[in-house]
Amino acid sequence: MALIEARSVHVRFGDRIVLEEVDMAVLENECHGIMGPNGAGKTTFFNVITGRAKPTRGEVMLDGENIAGLSPHAIARKGVARSFQIMTLFDEYSARENVMIALPRFRERGFDMSHPASGDRDFKAEAEQVLADVGLADRADIRAKELAYGDRRALEIGVALAQKPRVLCLDEPTSGLGTDGVQRLLGLAQKLKGTLTMIVIEHDMSFLFSLADRISVLHWGQVVARGTPAQLQENLWVRRSNLGKFA
Amino acid sequence: MNGTAPNSPDAARLITPTMLVVWLGLATIPLWISQIGLYPYLGIEILIWSIYALSFNLVLGTAGLPSFGHGVFFGVGAYAFGLAQFNVSSSLWICLTLAMLAAALAGVFVALFISHRRGIYYAFMTIAFGQIFWTIAIKWHSVTGGEDGLLKIERLPADLGFVSFDLKNNASFYYFVLAVFIVIVIALWRLTHSPYGRILSAIRQSETRAAHLGYRVWLYKASVFTISAGMSGLAGGLFAMAQLAAFPDVMSLHQSGYIVMMTLVGGGLVSFWGPIVGVVTFLVARDVIGAMTSAWMLWFGLLFIAIVLFKPEGIAGAFRSVVDGGKARAKRAEGVSALRLLFRS
Amino acid sequence: MIDILPHILNGLTLGLLFALIALGFMLIVGLMEQINLAHGSLFALGAYVGMQMLGPRPPMPADWAAAWLALPLGWRYALTLVIAPCVVGVVGALVEFCMRRTYGKDPLYGLLLTFGAAMVIEEAIRLTWGTRDYVLQVPQAISGGFIFQDLIWSTYRFYAAGIAAVIIGLVWLVIEKTPYGAIIKAGAHDSEIVRALGINLSRLRLAVFIFGTMLAAVAGIIVAPIWGIRPHMGVDAVVPAFLVIVLGGVGSFWGAVSAGILVGLAVGLTGAYASEWSLLSMYILLVAIVTFRARGLFGKKSVLEA
Repeated sequence: MALIEARSVHVRFGDRIVLEEVDMAVLENECHGIMGPNGAGKTTFFNVITGRAKPTRGEVMLDGENIAGLSPHAIARKGVARSFQIMTLFDEYSARENVMIALPRFRERGFDMSHPASGDRDFKAEAEQVLADVGLADRADIRAKELAYGDRRALEIGVALAQKPRVLCLDEPTSGLGTDGVQRLLGLAQKLKGTLTMIVIEHDMSFLFSLADRISVLHWGQVVARGTPAQLQENLWVRRSNLGKFA
Repeated sequence: MNGTAPNSPDAARLITPTMLVVWLGLATIPLWISQIGLYPYLGIEILIWSIYALSFNLVLGTAGLPSFGHGVFFGVGAYAFGLAQFNVSSSLWICLTLAMLAAALAGVFVALFISHRRGIYYAFMTIAFGQIFWTIAIKWHSVTGGEDGLLKIERLPADLGFVSFDLKNNASFYYFVLAVFIVIVIALWRLTHSPYGRILSAIRQSETRAAHLGYRVWLYKASVFTISAGMSGLAGGLFAMAQLAAFPDVMSLHQSGYIVMMTLVGGGLVSFWGPIVGVVTFLVARDVIGAMTSAWMLWFGLLFIAIVLFKPEGIAGAFRSVVDGGKARAKRAEGVSALRLLFRS
Repeated sequence: MIDILPHILNGLTLGLLFALIALGFMLIVGLMEQINLAHGSLFALGAYVGMQMLGPRPPMPADWAAAWLALPLGWRYALTLVIAPCVVGVVGALVEFCMRRTYGKDPLYGLLLTFGAAMVIEEAIRLTWGTRDYVLQVPQAISGGFIFQDLIWSTYRFYAAGIAAVIIGLVWLVIEKTPYGAIIKAGAHDSEIVRALGINLSRLRLAVFIFGTMLAAVAGIIVAPIWGIRPHMGVDAVVPAFLVIVLGGVGSFWGAVSAGILVGLAVGLTGAYASEWSLLSMYILLVAIVTFRARGLFGKKSVLEA
């Protein structure tokens, strides 16, 4: 049963059609991959399902409710979390603070103007748990902008995880990482698999093929192929366009 | 980031050692200010403008929003105090409260239009509203007295029920304003270090990320602007009492610009105390350098330009890096990134 | 109904002047991606310098001044229209030097820096000329009014509209028909290309900044008899300039001109019904437009949107 489903999502900017009648159904606890060349519309698709862009037509059903066109904060509150391709962290804050702000319980105290934020031990403990999950436990006090690149990527995911989402959207999480970083990330992603619904945009084919249950291939704003990794390897279009080629 | 490091013990305190030192220092001013060639009224101005600048810095330093029209709220507070005194009540507390409320109301009104924006559009909108309110203040002669101002405002006594203080002489008025200042400092320090303050700072660093974490960014920006407007209005009410009148020119772009320059020069982008340093620098420059040349404002403007170019962490930031053992580059980087965050549209 | 015609002329005149100011502003924004808040104070400086040159004590050595004052007002006015902007252009060059450190960084630096520059220039104006009202002398031929069809028309407005249109036309010629204009357009689009073509980018930026400043200054001289001369008149020029590029987009010549005329007409028509508040309509218009997020009449995306 599809937890999140895009129906005929159509996005047009001026006279450019970025997404054309895109259908995508992601089952609950499935790990669904999205791949395709640059400019295919993958990030725009993410923008639509996270509220950053409004589709010209179409619906995005989250557990039966149409969330297309809602603002990012509304969709985030419904349990959709996202990491960005170009990292958006709170650079001046430490890793721990970045995660703390993402905690739903912290958000609930958002308009508390009379208590010191640093006083709450529960938040710290919760944040540290998340940091441990993404392997940053020993770097909790380091400012986000001073973290190594691989750690920043991990933090980006940690922040999304801290939201306790139902749907986790990762936009090119391996971008810029070396083989070590990719391995580490793969380990983390496989740990998460099955515990929540994931949608992952990726260029790294071996990463995606090892991780995803099913993959949708986007090209020129359209879904040109869809299937399990094994099925896609057989797919003529994928093979001919060199997307399926990996060691 | 404005305020102190979140892990430092000061962040959790209601009253910090620095505060006590500052208050004690300020409390002694009437005793020695004449000895150094200045005058007691200057102390009153420093306190009132400090309240104004600290409130302004909530918007600029903490939330990272460039407001070039904040004089509106200072002015609305001043006018509201006078009008309340003439038409509503002779109680100091009621008049000051009305000054705050009127300014906060103006703040809500403006906030409704600007809070979806950031950066340059935000700045120009605040300039536009500044001009609108300033024009109204000048033209609405029957209510504001026009260019002549609202005159004959009195210093109402501070009546606490069991004792009443006459504030007509500058010394007692100074201590009254100092009491208000102390309350404001405590309130703003706590607010800056509360969850609300942390979220404002986060919004400054990445509005996108905050929105995608489920925060109603618009509401945070609107609320901080309103709070800041209200407190600026309180300062305005005190100012009306200080000079016994309210004038429209505080709402001009020129004077709204003063508070921006003071706050930045003092180091408001990286330090809670920066705005006060800026106010003192500005007023001392006005009186000391102003005594030597009428071009003092020109020099201050050039100082502002130099700070923007070379030392965005301001005086307080530079001081802090000296105290911290010369981590000057880090401080400067902090100032630079704070400036950068101001204008991401 | 017909009495509204003089106000429409006023609006058109103002609009052409707003377009002129906005064009200078836009060239700077387009090429350097910096918002120049000092544009307004340079406009004001133009009015003051022009006023001083046409007054009884022109700022030149004594024997030159005598020769200058001997010339008929018409000649002096025409020469001032050319010389005063050059003087202000020098000040503009100074501002550009200060801004160099901020290129390549966020527009924030440019905004704060030029804000400081605007304050400094305004303060310099106050120090030099004080805060009293001044009047800019204009030749008899273009001042005063006349009656036509039972309505009172201002001769000066016709002249102002005419000269503004001529200067706008000149700007168009430079941008569209000269190699310099092509370079400016290319530079606005992609500064790397300009560098790759061997053109000195910093000299180009300086030239464009001075050019834009001179447009603002000459607009100041032309507007002075309509608005009067006050130290803070700059903000009434820079805000409509911003509004014009919000409406017309950055980089669109005709967008700037049409938007300028639109804003001018709004102000002019408000003047018909509530003359005290006419400038206010410009600020209210800005609030309205930015609130409803207009993207530009000619569809070009503004460089202001990051």
